Amino acid sequence: MTSPASFAYSKYRKPFIVFIAAMLLALAPAVARAQFLHPKVAKKETTIRNIIILPAKVNVVRDSMKGPEGMAAESEDVSGRVEKAVSAILEKQKNVKTLNTPGAAGEGDAQQRYSIADFQTKFDDLLPRIMKKRSDVKKGRFTIGDEVLNLNLDKSVDAIVFIRAQGQKLTGGKTAFVMLVGGAPAYLKMQIGMIDAHTGEVLLYTDPMFAGDPTTAVDRLRKALEQGFKKLPAASVQ
Amino acid sequence: MSTLKIKSLIVIALCAWLTLGSVAPAALGQKKTAPVEATPPPVREEFKFGKVDLEMLEQVNLLDRRFERDGMVLEDEATNAYLFKIGHGLIPAGLTLENVTWKFRVLRDPQPNAFALPNGSIYVTTGLMSLIDNESELAAIIAHELTHVMRRHTYEQNRSNRKKFLTMNVMAAVGAYAPGGIVGAAIQVVTAIAPFIIIATMFGYSRDLEREADLKGIDMMISAEYPPEEMVSVMKLLDRDIEGENIRLFYNDHPALQERINYLSSYLGARADKVTPQMELNREKAAYFRAMEPMMRHDVQLQINAGRFRSAVYIAQRLVDFHPDSENLFWLAEAYRTLGPRATQLTEKELTNGAKKDAAKKQEKRTDEEIERELLATFAGQENWKGHQQKSEELYRSALATDKPVAVAHRGLGMLYEKLDRKIEALAEYEKYLELAPAATDHERIQRRIENLRRTPQ
Repeated sequence: MTSPASFAYSKYRKPFIVFIAAMLLALAPAVARAQFLHPKVAKKETTIRNIIILPAKVNVVRDSMKGPEGMAAESEDVSGRVEKAVSAILEKQKNVKTLNTPGAAGEGDAQQRYSIADFQTKFDDLLPRIMKKRSDVKKGRFTIGDEVLNLNLDKSVDAIVFIRAQGQKLTGGKTAFVMLVGGAPAYLKMQIGMIDAHTGEVLLYTDPMFAGDPTTAVDRLRKALEQGFKKLPAASVQ
Repeated sequence: MSTLKIKSLIVIALCAWLTLGSVAPAALGQKKTAPVEATPPPVREEFKFGKVDLEMLEQVNLLDRRFERDGMVLEDEATNAYLFKIGHGLIPAGLTLENVTWKFRVLRDPQPNAFALPNGSIYVTTGLMSLIDNESELAAIIAHELTHVMRRHTYEQNRSNRKKFLTMNVMAAVGAYAPGGIVGAAIQVVTAIAPFIIIATMFGYSRDLEREADLKGIDMMISAEYPPEEMVSVMKLLDRDIEGENIRLFYNDHPALQERINYLSSYLGARADKVTPQMELNREKAAYFRAMEPMMRHDVQLQINAGRFRSAVYIAQRLVDFHPDSENLFWLAEAYRTLGPRATQLTEKELTNGAKKDAAKKQEKRTDEEIERELLATFAGQENWKGHQQKSEELYRSALATDKPVAVAHRGLGMLYEKLDRKIEALAEYEKYLELAPAATDHERIQRRIENLRRTPQ
C-alpha cells in the first residue's frame, strides 16, 4: 500500500496533480475577472441607456495533438452569440437598449465600412495598454478620442461596445492529453470595452472568461457575461 | 538487464527516433528544396489535396470574405485593376491550378507587408505599396507571393507543422511519465530540449520556402519583362526601419537580408544583363506614383491613425516631391502636426535592437498622448514641436494657396491652433471649414470643438 509520504515523492504525483487541476478547471463555473468603471459611470454622473455593439472579433481554434487549427465559421457563430448575449443581459439586467449599428456586418458603402474598421483598429491599439493596467480605467486614463463623433451615430447612443474574444476547443485526443500531461483546457476569454459615444473615453472594461467548449457552452457564456457586467449601474426605466 | 532498464532504453530510443524522424527530413530537405542555380518547376504538379488541405482551404476562403466584410480591403477600382494587371502578367500563360482563383487585393494596413492565401488571394498592404518606387518592385513582391501559391507552400508547411506538433506532444507525454533515476533524468532533458529543436526546424523550413519564392519570383519577373534586380531593391526596402519596429528575434521565418541579397545576386548572375525597352518602362517612378497617388494619401491617414507618425511624414514627403502644388501639401501638414514633439528620424542608438525592445515595452504601457506629454517636457521635444508646428502651418497655408484648395486644410489649422492655445484663430478656422464643407462626415466633431472653444475663456 502507498503511504501519503511515499505518494508525495512518487512518479504519479505530478500527473495526479495536473489531472485534478484540469478536472477542477473543466468543471469550474463561469469565471468573471475584474470589472473597471470610469469614475463618471461609478459616480452615476453618466448613465448608459442606449448602446451600439460593433461586430465582435472572436478567434476560436481547435487544438488537436497536431497543433491548433482555425475555426473561422465557428468563430463567426460564437461572435454572433456573444453579441446577442451581451445585448440580452444588458437589456434584462441593466435596462440598456441595443440600437442598430450602421455599416456593420458588411452593409453600407465602403466609406462606412472603413469608418467602422478604423474604430475597431483604434480599440485594438488601445486594448494592450488597458490590459497592462486595467485599474487605470477607474482613473479615466483611456480614450480613443473625439474622432468617435465621426461615426455620426444617433444622438441617443451613449456608448459603443467593443468585444474581443479568444478561445479554444479541444479534440478528443487533446482532451485526454491535457488530462494526463497538463495544458490549457477548452475556454473562452473575452475583453469587452464600452466607449463613450460622445467623448471616446473608456467607460467600462471587463474581461470575463469561462472554461468549457466555446462553441457550445451557452449557459457558461451567459453566466460569465452576467458577472462581467455586475458592477455596471442599471439605467432607470424610462 | 532489469525490466525497468529495458523499458527506459526503449523510451529513450523512442524519443530519439521521434525527434530525428521529424527533424532530419526537414534539415536534409533544406538543401534539396532551394539550390541557387536550379530552381524547381513553377508548379508542384505532384501535389494532391488531402482532407487537411481541403479544411485549410475552407478556412482561408472564409478569411477572404472576412477581410472584405470588415472593411479591410481597399475598394478602389483603379488600384485593384492596376494590381490585377501586374499579377496576371506574371502568371505563366494558360496555367490553371486546382482550387486556386487568382485575386489581387490591397489591404488597408499601414504596416509594410504582403502575403498569399493558398486559395490564390494575394494581399499587399497600403503600407508596403506606399514605400515602393516603381511597378517592377511591386511585381517582385507579387511574383514572390505567387510562388507561394503555385508551389503550394502553405499546404506543405501546414502538413509539416502538424507532424512536428504531434512529435512535440508525444515527447511531452513521455517526459511527464519518465521513470526516476539517471535514465529518467536523461529522458526529461531530451524531452525538454526537443521542442526547441523542432521549433527551429519549423522556422528553417519556412526560410527555405521563402528562398524558393525569391528565386522563382525572379524567373517570373524575367518572363514578364520586369528587371529582375528590382527583387534586391525590394529586399533592401523591406529592411528600412522607419518606426524602429524590426526587432531581431532568435529565429526568423524569413532569411536575413544580407543572406537574401547574396543568394539573389548569385542567382541573378547573367540573368540581369538582358534589358528590354519594356523593362526600362516598368522601372519608371512617375508612372507608378501617378497610379498610386490616391492610395498613398489614404495610407498617410492610416499611418497617422496607427500612431506611425514618422512613416506618415516619409510617405507624405514622397507625395509632395512627386506632385508639389496639390492636396499632397495638406497630407504632409497633417503628418507634421501629428508628429508633434517626436523627431522625424530615429537615431542610430534608437535603432539598436535593445533600444527598439525598450521602446516597444514603453509603447505598450503608455498612450500616444502620454508619450507626447513626456517628450514635451524635454528640450529636444519642445524644439521638435516648435519646428513641426511651424512647418505644418506653412504647409496648410500652401495647400490653401494651390489651384484646388482643400477645405480640410482649415480643419487642420484649427486643430493646430487649438493645441497651441490660439483659441480665436482656431475658432475661425473651424468655422471656415464647416462653411466650406457643410456635409463633411466630421461635422459634429468639429461643431463640438467649436462649442467647447466658445465655452472656455479666451
